[in-house]
Amino acid sequence: MANPLKLPGKIFEGIGRRTVAGLDEMGYAAAIFFEAIYWTLTGWRYRQPVRITSAFASMMQFGVTALPIATLLAATIGLMLAIQSLYSLGLFGAEQYAYIGIALSVVREFSPMIMGILIAGRSGSAIAARLATMSINQEVDALQVMGINPVRFLVSPVLIALVLMMPCLAMWANLVSILAAGLYVSAQLHQSFGAYLNDTIDVLKTGDVWHGLGKATLFGVIIALVGVVNGSMVQGGAEGVGKVTTRSVVISITLIVVADMIFAYMTTK
Amino acid sequence: MTNDALTAEAVNQANRPSAEELATRRKVIEVDSLDWSFGTRQVLFDINLDVREGEIMVIMGGSGSGKTTLLRHLVGLMPPLPGKIKLLGKDMGALSRMQLLELKRRIGVAFQFGALFSSMSVSENVKLPLRELTDLEERTMDIMANMKLEVCNLSGFGHLMPSDLSGGMMKRASIARAIVMDPKLIFLDEPSSGLDPVVSSALDDLILKLRDAMDISVVVVSHDVESAYKIADRITILDKGRILACDRVDAVRNSTNERVQNLLHRRSEQAEIDPTEYLRRLAGD
Ligand SMILES: Nc1ncnc2c1ncn2[C@@H]1O[C@H](COP(=O)(O)OP(=O)(O)OP(=O)(O)O)[C@@H](O)[C@H]1O
Ligand SMILES: [Mg+2]
Repeated sequence: MANPLKLPGKIFEGIGRRTVAGLDEMGYAAAIFFEAIYWTLTGWRYRQPVRITSAFASMMQFGVTALPIATLLAATIGLMLAIQSLYSLGLFGAEQYAYIGIALSVVREFSPMIMGILIAGRSGSAIAARLATMSINQEVDALQVMGINPVRFLVSPVLIALVLMMPCLAMWANLVSILAAGLYVSAQLHQSFGAYLNDTIDVLKTGDVWHGLGKATLFGVIIALVGVVNGSMVQGGAEGVGKVTTRSVVISITLIVVADMIFAYMTTK
Repeated sequence: MTNDALTAEAVNQANRPSAEELATRRKVIEVDSLDWSFGTRQVLFDINLDVREGEIMVIMGGSGSGKTTLLRHLVGLMPPLPGKIKLLGKDMGALSRMQLLELKRRIGVAFQFGALFSSMSVSENVKLPLRELTDLEERTMDIMANMKLEVCNLSGFGHLMPSDLSGGMMKRASIARAIVMDPKLIFLDEPSSGLDPVVSSALDDLILKLRDAMDISVVVVSHDVESAYKIADRITILDKGRILACDRVDAVRNSTNERVQNLLHRRSEQAEIDPTEYLRRLAGD
C-alpha cells in the first residue's frame, strides 16, 4: 500500500465497479427470464416447442428425487419448532397455543425457505455446473449453429420444472412439518393428535398457504436464473466450473433470504 | 508423404474443378469487406472471400491469425453485420429470427473438439437436430442417423457415449451430426488436429467423399499443410487478420510470397533472434 490516503477512493471504486457488474448480471438474468417465457409461449410457432419430456425429466431430477431429503428436513424442522414452542410458551404456561406459532411459521416461513435453500444447494449447483460444462465444451455454440435456441432447449425446461416443483415441495414440507410437530406436541401435552390437527386447520387461512407457496415459486425462479446466469458466465476450464457452481449456490441462498424478507414486508404491510 | 497419400492427392488434383469452371458456379458464401475488433483490438481486416458450390476451401494461418474468429462469423456465432456475409445467397445481417433459424438448418458445423453432448449417446447426438427441428418419426430418424454414421464409418458405435470415443471417432461423430440434416454447406474446425497421420488421412478421404457423394461445399480451418494440399480446391491464408493469399492449391503452393512460404513450411517469422535484444525484452525495458 503505497499511499493509504488513496485507499478510500480505491474502495469506492471497487464498490462502484461491483455494483455495475451486479446490475449487468441482473439485466442479463431478466433478459434470459423473458426469453425463456417467450419461447415457452411461442416456441411452437418456430416449430421449436419447449419439450414436455425435457421439463418432466427436470421435474424428476429437481423435485421427485429430492423428496427423501426434503421429508427428512421438513420433519426435523417441525420437531425443532415444536420443541422450541413448547419451551418458550411453557414460560407463560401457554403450551396449549403452540399449534398457532408452529402452523403459521411453518407455512409462511420455514417450508419455502428450507426448501429453497435445499434446492439451491442441490439443483441450483447442478444447473450451473451443467451449463458451465456445456459452454466450455462448445455444446451451447453447437446448439446455436444447429438453429436450436439454447434458451428454449436448456433454460425453459429448467425454469418450468422449478416453478412447478418448488411450491409442490413446499406444500409437502408443510404437511410433513405439521405432522411431525403435531405428533410431538400431542404426545407431550397428552392431547389427541386429531384435536391438534383440527386446531391447526382452524388457525391457518388460505392466504397463509398462498403466501408460502408464492414465495416458493419465486425462489424457484431465483434458483433457475442464478444457476443459468452463473453457468453461462463460466471462464477457464474445470476450475471455472467449480467456481461458478459455488458462486451460484452462495448467490441463490443470499437472494432467497433477502427476497423472503422483502416478500414478507410487502405482503404484510 | 506416403505413396497412398500421393496417389490420393493426385486423384483429387485430377478431380479438381478448373478455375474457369469454378467461376461459373453459384457462390455459397460471400464475405464482403468484413472487419472485426474485440474491444479496441482489431483482429480481422477487410476480409473478402467467396466459396463456390461444391468447392472445398481450406483456411490456413498461424496461431492467432483470426481463423476461428472468421469461422464464427461465417456460422453466425458472432453478431452478423448487414451486407457483410451472405450464406447460400442470404444476407445474414438482414434476416429475421425465423429466417436465420431456417438458414441454420441448411448448414452444418463440426467443432474442433467435437462439441458432442456428453449426456447423450452418439446416435442421440446425431439425431438431435432431426428431433428438435423436424417432425420425423422415431424410426425415420433412426434410419437417417444410422445412414450418416455409416458414411462416417461409425456404424455400430451409435450406442457409445462421447466419453468412450477416440479422438478420431469423436471428430467423425461430430461430422455425422453436422451432415444429418443434409446441409448444402459444412464447416469443419481443425478436423485433423490431435490425430495421428493415418487417422487424419482417413478423415481427409471422408471429407472428399462427402463433397463428391453429397455435393456439399466445405470450409475447413486447418493447420495441416499436407491435408490442405490433398483436399483443398482453394486455400485461403490468413495472416494477422488479413488475407495474404486466396488461390488454387498449386498457385498458393508455388507462391513467391515469402510469408506464404514461411507459413506453409512452418518457418518462424523471426528465425534469427538477437540475443541482446532478447535479454533486453525479458528484462522488460
Ligand atoms: N473473445 C475474445 N476476446 C478478445 N480477443 C479474442 C477473443 N477471441 C479471440 N481473440 C483474439 O483474436 C485473435 C484471433 O483469434 P482466433 O482465435 O481467431 O485465432 P486463430 O487463428 O483461430 O488461432 P488458433 O490457430 O490458435 O486457433 C487472437 O489474437 C485472439 O487473442
Ligand atoms: Mg482457432
